[in-house]
Amino acid sequence: MFFHITLERNMQLHPRHFGRNLRENLIAKLMKDVEGTCSGRHGFVVAITGIENVGKGLIRDGTGFVTFPVKYRCVVFRPFKGQILEAVVTMVNKMGFFAEAGPVQIFVSNHLIPDDMEFQSGDMPNYTTSDGSVKIQKDSEVRLKLIGTRVDATEIFCIGTIKDDFLGVINDPTTA
Amino acid sequence: MTIVSDSPVHSSSSDDFASFLDAELATSTSDSSADEEGDEEENLESKRVKRRKVEVLEILEDVQDSTARVETSKEEAICAHPGSFGGMCIICGQRVAEEAGVAIAYIHKGLRLDSPELVRLRNADMKNKLNQKKLHLILDLDHTLLNSTMLFHMTSEEDYLKSNADSLQDIQNGSLFMLEHMRMMTKLRPYVRQFLKEANEMFEMHIYTMGDKPYAREMAKLLDPGDQYFNDRIISRDDGTQKHQKGLDVVLAEESAVLILDDTENAWTKHRENLILMERYHFFASSCQQFGFRCKSLSLLKSDESDTDGALASVLRVLKRVHSMYFDEDPRDAPSNRDVREFLKSVRKEILQGCRIVFSRVFPTSFPPESHQLWKMAEQLGATCLVEVDSSVTHVVANDPNTEKSKWATNETKYLVHPQWIEATYYLWQRQVEDKYPVNQSKSQ
Repeated sequence: MFFHITLERNMQLHPRHFGRNLRENLIAKLMKDVEGTCSGRHGFVVAITGIENVGKGLIRDGTGFVTFPVKYRCVVFRPFKGQILEAVVTMVNKMGFFAEAGPVQIFVSNHLIPDDMEFQSGDMPNYTTSDGSVKIQKDSEVRLKLIGTRVDATEIFCIGTIKDDFLGVINDPTTA
Repeated sequence: MTIVSDSPVHSSSSDDFASFLDAELATSTSDSSADEEGDEEENLESKRVKRRKVEVLEILEDVQDSTARVETSKEEAICAHPGSFGGMCIICGQRVAEEAGVAIAYIHKGLRLDSPELVRLRNADMKNKLNQKKLHLILDLDHTLLNSTMLFHMTSEEDYLKSNADSLQDIQNGSLFMLEHMRMMTKLRPYVRQFLKEANEMFEMHIYTMGDKPYAREMAKLLDPGDQYFNDRIISRDDGTQKHQKGLDVVLAEESAVLILDDTENAWTKHRENLILMERYHFFASSCQQFGFRCKSLSLLKSDESDTDGALASVLRVLKRVHSMYFDEDPRDAPSNRDVREFLKSVRKEILQGCRIVFSRVFPTSFPPESHQLWKMAEQLGATCLVEVDSSVTHVVANDPNTEKSKWATNETKYLVHPQWIEATYYLWQRQVEDKYPVNQSKSQ
């Protein structure tokens, strides 16, 4: 799920960046440091939308670095257990398939794939129903439900299932 | 119906639901009770009515949902956590101990599988392979299918190779590649493309190398530009469970259906019987140097291994043989009893069948001859090794033509061969012509 929240961060700036462009340098450094990172609490920071305020800078003892507390608004993405999500399949093998929804890596084990779908190995490994009507292969879009999530410093791992109603392939790439 | 009353989970949840509802209703009625104190009795009654209604509703719900709910709670309670991805069980999503099971990281980072799950997957794979009539083949990269060298290790005499490198736009037709971004050059072994094409029809192929992951991926791109042979079955040294050792524990295949092609025996100490030892491919000078050979490498000699007569072609013949022996058995014989290791042994035993060999001054005298590498090789090839000469002996293996046994061999017109004859026979899977391995007076090899 996406959220638009305010976060705060203490940014350290080297005096060489001071001058007319102090604020721009600070904001550029903030974007470089924060966009694309993950935190356990908020999830994945997708983009910074604006700076709310920049506090007074404090010179650190010992070094000449100055610390500015910056409050900024950003869009974050955090998956939740029980959430329904659409994802793109990246890899299919006999243990299940891996899918990706932005920065989130989701694994759906073959225990959580409906029993009527069988694994077919070959050039383009896939899971197909016995009558061939539904096929999950690389680049298929699937709707899945998350049953477990874990966020660490740079990545988010999730376990998903398609064994419930209304879950499964949305779009077949071969007919698209 | 008994399930409904007996299951502890069920009853506690119903208590929570009812008390939760009550709490909600109590707060809403208490808000309005300030004005209507006289209606307390009514409220109590309405609460009781509501509670009863709630209970009735619940009983109806339970009849429909009880089995479902109990089953899921039972499932969660007995989930065996057969594997984990990113620290979570792949079936129920709960956190599991990080180090449980075997890391199958070459398929995807963070994937771990438990022993029972691995057994289940291997069995399922076995059935699949029997239907497709395929076995598994694990290939080593360095010195087996190709030879790589760092650019700064190349000698000045090898500079001509840099300009003769094949184009990276047309990988399928090339064999010598310059990889600038990795600062190395790679030469594919002759016959490798034909070998892979034919082996692919009989085997599901895996790469298992002691190189790191990026190197393994690059080499896979050169060997398999169409991505038909290996897919995600590329195991590098970061994916192994033990340092300096390769193992079949990370391979999703039954041990009795796996053949391994490698030039290093020491890497496969646990699976020697599945191993087909390959003669090392030394193209670059640095490769010869690494192994302490003072001979000139193929690049300096400006020649190459023979295409149709080289190591890969011989091994391909052996693989075809073992494959046909495995799948052409009597259909009444249960497939699960067949073991590819037994077939390999029997193919090997045919090569020098009937030969009786005596070794002369090849082993140090204090050494028990039966444990010597050459003795063991000869026995694996089907020959019988003897310590003393007698009339049934067919070959004498010696380094020096002037020993007693060597002279005896020449007198009795028995074959007198250099130890390399046994080695060549072993690597080429074919009895070599004895005359090509004479024993000379010169001491240099």
